[in-house]
Amino acid sequence: MSENHRHNAPESDIALRVKAMEQLLTEKGIVDPAAIDLVVDYYETRVGPRNGARVVARAWSDPAYHERLMQDATAAIAELGFSGLQGEDMVVLENTPEVHNVVVCTLCSCYPWPVLGLPPTWYKSPPYRARIVREPRKVLAEFGMDVGDDVEVRVWDSSAELRYMVLPMRPEGTDGLSEDELAARVTRDGMIGVAPV
Amino acid sequence: MGELTAQKMAEIIERGSTKRRPDAATPPRFAVGDKVRTRNDHPPHHTRLPRYAMGRTGEIVMIHGTFLLPDSNSRHLGEKPQHCYGVRFTGKELWGAEGHPADRVVLDLFDDYLEPA
Amino acid sequence: MDGIHDLGGMHGFGPVVREEDEPVFHHPWEKRAFGLEFFTGSRIGVTGDEGRHAIERLAPATYLTASYYEKWMLALQLLLEEHGVLTAEQIEQRMAELAENAHG
Repeated sequence: MSENHRHNAPESDIALRVKAMEQLLTEKGIVDPAAIDLVVDYYETRVGPRNGARVVARAWSDPAYHERLMQDATAAIAELGFSGLQGEDMVVLENTPEVHNVVVCTLCSCYPWPVLGLPPTWYKSPPYRARIVREPRKVLAEFGMDVGDDVEVRVWDSSAELRYMVLPMRPEGTDGLSEDELAARVTRDGMIGVAPV
Repeated sequence: MGELTAQKMAEIIERGSTKRRPDAATPPRFAVGDKVRTRNDHPPHHTRLPRYAMGRTGEIVMIHGTFLLPDSNSRHLGEKPQHCYGVRFTGKELWGAEGHPADRVVLDLFDDYLEPA
Repeated sequence: MDGIHDLGGMHGFGPVVREEDEPVFHHPWEKRAFGLEFFTGSRIGVTGDEGRHAIERLAPATYLTASYYEKWMLALQLLLEEHGVLTAEQIEQRMAELAENAHG
């Protein structure tokens, strides 16, 4: 939805409300607009699925790292410089030919920010939250992923303080690729568990 | 807050704010493999036990350690730290005949939500 | 709370709608909303879980029709009122002033 042609249109109610709240809270010394600029910039530029892709590529390339990642995901992810809010306690779920993992937060929008950034709108939307726990195979098929009846689909509903990231299966024919080349193959949806890599 | 720089902001974010409370550690009441049943009390306050998993039987698959309890913390009634477990349910247990035989759902559930099954 | 937020397993929502190359924020006000949410709670004595519960307490129709960050801001306003930081009247009055200035 572009706002390009709306220069002269009145601001929406919510835009005005947010502006009013920011002004009033600034006047009370509760928030600082410059600090808001910094936090927004951090989440726009410093985190995103590229972080998680580096974790996955390292795990595919380095068996010792893979071992550490499965033992203590929070520490292994921090080795690569990713840590903090909404990722304080991480668990990595490894896909295998027998088990396909997929992550949701049915009650809210919990998501591993340090490795995947802020969640996409669909992840926070009622259809995904309502359906993925009940009919995961149908939802996965809509995303273009058919899972065989003999494969277990394991849905992780992030109901408490753990944050989950899926370690996808390494694609066939990638033996000669460097870690950087592997990382370029890894997608956000693969690390949520709604797409193969 | 006027002193905040991009570097300091990054440090605050990357330090995070864990809800883990290791000092409160007591031995967990359940072990991996134990069967548990979730409570079915539909509390009017904030809770992390979704309706679809109330009154259901599952199996402990992970022991996460001790964390503050959102049910209590949300109401300023203290952190009430306690064990949190990964509990796995079958699709059949949650959805009846409609559930796929090879579907599983894992939820992270606090000790207060569980009783031995 | 058996609220509208407790969506797991509900029927009737239709397909999951996705957006190609979705930006982190869709509108400038969403950035400001994210920042307000980031800082305000801890500065006025709201626990994170209390903040989540405020979103859960929005009217069900609002919960299902408001955008994600809109829900955050409506819940934040509720908390500001409950904690005696701001009144709805103060916010509405400032909104009216801002709208007036934009026209002037």
